[in-house]
Amino acid sequence: MISIESVSHDIGKTQIFSNLSLCVNKNEKVLILGKSGLGKTSLFRLILGFEQAGSGRILINGLNLDKDHIHQIRQQLFYLSQDIDLKNETILGLVRDIWEFNFAKELCQENLDQQLTFLELSPGILQKKTGELSGGERQRIGLLIGFMLDRPIWLLDEPTSALDDAMKKKIAIHILSLEKTLVIISHDHCWQNSSAVRIERWS
Amino acid sequence: MTIAGRTVQPFESKGGPSMGAQDLSIFSLMSLLIFLFPILYISRYLKLGINRDILIGMVRMCLQLSFVGLYLEFLFKFDSPWLNTAYLLLMISIACHSILKSSNLKIGIFFKPLFFSLLIPFGIMLLFFNGAVARIDNLFEAKYLVPVGGMLLGNCLRSIIIGLTHFYSGLKKNEKEYLYSLSLFNNRAQALKPWFKESLVAAINPTLASMATIGLVSLPGMMTGQILGGSIPLVAIKYQIAIMGCIFYTEYFSVILSILFSLKTGFNAFDVLKTDIFQKDRN
Repeated sequence: MISIESVSHDIGKTQIFSNLSLCVNKNEKVLILGKSGLGKTSLFRLILGFEQAGSGRILINGLNLDKDHIHQIRQQLFYLSQDIDLKNETILGLVRDIWEFNFAKELCQENLDQQLTFLELSPGILQKKTGELSGGERQRIGLLIGFMLDRPIWLLDEPTSALDDAMKKKIAIHILSLEKTLVIISHDHCWQNSSAVRIERWS
Repeated sequence: MTIAGRTVQPFESKGGPSMGAQDLSIFSLMSLLIFLFPILYISRYLKLGINRDILIGMVRMCLQLSFVGLYLEFLFKFDSPWLNTAYLLLMISIACHSILKSSNLKIGIFFKPLFFSLLIPFGIMLLFFNGAVARIDNLFEAKYLVPVGGMLLGNCLRSIIIGLTHFYSGLKKNEKEYLYSLSLFNNRAQALKPWFKESLVAAINPTLASMATIGLVSLPGMMTGQILGGSIPLVAIKYQIAIMGCIFYTEYFSVILSILFSLKTGFNAFDVLKTDIFQKDRN
């Protein structure tokens, strides 16, 4: 599903990583562990086409990551960035825009309610603006958008860092049970305890 | 707007010959300089550090306007459509240069898209004004084409600077938000929409505000010029209304086009904002 073949990446004159290879099969769950500064987030940005690798090759679902395939590739990726960089708008407006644009139909209220309940968010949160959310709420709204988009490949960058232990566990178990190809960057133990997870240690 | 206050070649009111304004002698013009001395003194006393800029500004204004005055005399005398059009194209080029400089965008790569985003609404509006509103026989008559063109361009200049600066600096500052939107929408236009909307509103807001107060507080330069030049106020007002409308329309469309036409230059094939489109940071 994701195939990274001897990729090197520099930003300016700083080398982020060199000769990196990683293969993630369909529906496999991979957890990347390593100190910060090793370029874990940069790897996600490469896969999303936000930055371009200096050398090597990236294939997503058999498609070469280049300008001809970038839209097809992005259509399969759900990315949860570390800071959940959502524009400061009301949650409902945002979720509705994203849903309606991606699926070209009206927002499915039932689906939305279901996700809110699972994530233990009150429906009132939909009227708030993203700027008013706490870190934990923000993360859960990010995940809510992911659940609703339902794309096949998920790239999660510290998805549970701001949640309490019970919530961390609940969400990790749920996400790992989904039929998705997952790449997770997280220091939370909740992701390491499952046999479904393959751990990649970076040093 | 610099041309707006000119009194030498006023629009003639229909129906009668214009009286024309009293000519100003060089000496009486120079007499205005006495007010500059206290200003220079106060600025120096307060250590504002702007005396140099004041002097440069005054000198430039005098030189540039004198040059335009001489040039317009020449232009009006020949009144050749080709020459007039060439002059307008030159004005657009200078405007593009000045806009990009102020917006901190690289001139070499943005000049062409910006040129056309000015030329199209500007050309249409100018010809419409001359042909359908002022109903002059020769659409390219210097007396109309050059001053009206100058007014439209001068105002567009300001709004496009606001629009482009808002758009590109805003995106650069909030790049993460833009990229995150891009990943969620998988569509550049959709991800750019909020910045586009904000920039358009910011760009036309000053004109909206001045439309709302015009006549209450200030008499616009063009009207003052016309009245001094001998037009009756009602004619001057009609021209002013027409011009304000034209300015607003031209601004609105040129801001939209300047952003749309620049996208191909500003973004790479992966829809990411290019980093090398800005001039060197001044700070």
